[in-house]
Amino acid sequence: MAKDSGRAERKASVYAVKTDKLRKEFDGLVAVDDLNLSVMRGILYGMIGPNGSGKTTTIKMLMGIQRPTKGTGSILGECIPVKDNIQKIGYMPQEMAVYYDLSIHENLELFAELYSVKKEDFQRREKELLEMVDLVERKDDAVSKLSGGMKHRVSLACTLVHEPEVLFLDEPTVGVDPELRAGFWEYFGELKERGKTIIMTTHYMDEAVRCDVVGMMRAGRLIAEGAPDEILARTSTDNLEDAFLFYSREGKA
Amino acid sequence: MNLDRVLAIAKKNLRSLRRDRRTFAFIFMVPFMMMLVFGYTFGGEVKNINVYIVNLDEGSTEGSLSWTIISELNSTDTVKIVHIYTAADAALDPVNLSIQKVRNAEVWGAIVFEKNFTKDAIWSIAFLHSGHTFVPSNMTLYLDGTNPNVAKAVSGSLSGALQKLLTTKYLLTSPVSIETDMVYGKDTKFIDFFAPGIMGLAGFLVTFMLTIVTFVRERSSSTLERLLTTPVRESEVVAGYAISFGLMALAQSTVILVTGVLLFNIQVEGSFLVALLVFFLLGVGSMGMGLMFSSVAKNELQAVQFIPLVFIPSILLAGIFWPLEAVPEFLRPISSFIPLTYAVDGARSVMIRGWGVEQIWVQIVILTLFALAMLLLSTYMLKRRK
Repeated sequence: MAKDSGRAERKASVYAVKTDKLRKEFDGLVAVDDLNLSVMRGILYGMIGPNGSGKTTTIKMLMGIQRPTKGTGSILGECIPVKDNIQKIGYMPQEMAVYYDLSIHENLELFAELYSVKKEDFQRREKELLEMVDLVERKDDAVSKLSGGMKHRVSLACTLVHEPEVLFLDEPTVGVDPELRAGFWEYFGELKERGKTIIMTTHYMDEAVRCDVVGMMRAGRLIAEGAPDEILARTSTDNLEDAFLFYSREGKA
Repeated sequence: MNLDRVLAIAKKNLRSLRRDRRTFAFIFMVPFMMMLVFGYTFGGEVKNINVYIVNLDEGSTEGSLSWTIISELNSTDTVKIVHIYTAADAALDPVNLSIQKVRNAEVWGAIVFEKNFTKDAIWSIAFLHSGHTFVPSNMTLYLDGTNPNVAKAVSGSLSGALQKLLTTKYLLTSPVSIETDMVYGKDTKFIDFFAPGIMGLAGFLVTFMLTIVTFVRERSSSTLERLLTTPVRESEVVAGYAISFGLMALAQSTVILVTGVLLFNIQVEGSFLVALLVFFLLGVGSMGMGLMFSSVAKNELQAVQFIPLVFIPSILLAGIFWPLEAVPEFLRPISSFIPLTYAVDGARSVMIRGWGVEQIWVQIVILTLFALAMLLLSTYMLKRRK
């Protein structure tokens, strides 16, 4: 028995994230419908789909914010809600979820302290992250004084401050100008090079093309999954939006 | 429990308060204003009460006792004589006119000395000296008893003036005298009695309100949700809040004490540190209570609706302005469930009686249990929300 569970864990640890018939209902309304998701380590996984398709709810269940109605999931081989591996996980919610009356530095410091980041490491990380989000000059400004896009950037920096192995980013590029968005993607690429796993949700189909694997969600179900090129080839379309519509229609039929 | 994470949460709260200047001002200005308003309103005796005097006294060969009493009344600042009618104003019907002034609430009282006041009084005194029956002389006090404090002050002032006259001029003293030896509170003023109450009330309410509002904001802005995806545990969030809000309650109590000592010269017979310990425990408990209430509220508007629910019983039944003995018996069980009751009682004993921990340990134990219960319950509520 113990041997079996040990084997299962080793098998699961190949995946950064895995779900088994994960389900969430709100007052009888199905938000996530028996989702089976497998995300290999070290890839950039994009969850795409319209509002209400269950992307955010899936992430919230994985992060332990919401309790699944049924089914289970694991992150780095540990069943959710994760406790032992929590230090290795970073989460950026869709809402800004940063403290407006604190400065950027104070927000970063708070999250660094919660993740027990050493002081000297924090100084290095803070410098690196502020450069990445282009907010070096505004370091000591209260977040309330920043624009919406800047607040989003602060939120992203807070997620990255402890150098997590697995990142859950819920709409990380919303409200960010195109130039900086390009910078973000460059940084995501660098993180991936360093072996990090990124699971992100996005509305921007042009962005999703940059992911290694894309999971298309509709009505709480995964209607298609694969590398963007593969999906385009399968559907004989030239963009992910048309591919999504193709699978949507197929699902309805 | 990880102390670094607890301190990180506490630091975050204190930094937020420092940056939010309006809230910062609210925290310190509210107790300061409360102390000022209550101090100046209830701090001293009742003064300058408007009264009319109708002096129809014709006096006697020995002079007029009514004028002696009036001049004595005039020398105190309890009553302010608006006008004195004499027999010369008889055409105005001064007695009815003055009563009407009281009825119209233009003045609090009217003192009427009848025509034979001095003569009757001298006869009465002569009778008393010779051991005969006492025949009272006529002096009538028409009072508006709407405010018992005011009514008591006017009648007290008049009795005082009369007593002084009898003692100094006719050497008449009461056959029985009461010797009072104050065991505690020799020079206690009313402000000394209610200052610990205001300290407790301000700490309790401001901490409670701030926790409710801060936590509802944490929830609505999803920062709480985000915090709980980090390694921080629910109990660490609660402990961080307890430290920061407990410290805030301490700072408030200090503001009130300094204001009280500097402006109203209030008594601090015992150790102020012991009184602060009482307010710290109360602050921690009210933070936990605020956190629990906030978990029921969906938004800030719903949250503030809890404030009167807590405020009214606290202000009326916790023994802040009047002793618990004045609370109707059927309401007293409620008083024993209000933690503020124990905080005020404990702090009052320290500040006026000069008691220490060994005498107020019961109150300290109750407040500690209240704080612990609130912390545990609020941790449970935070865990339950998942």
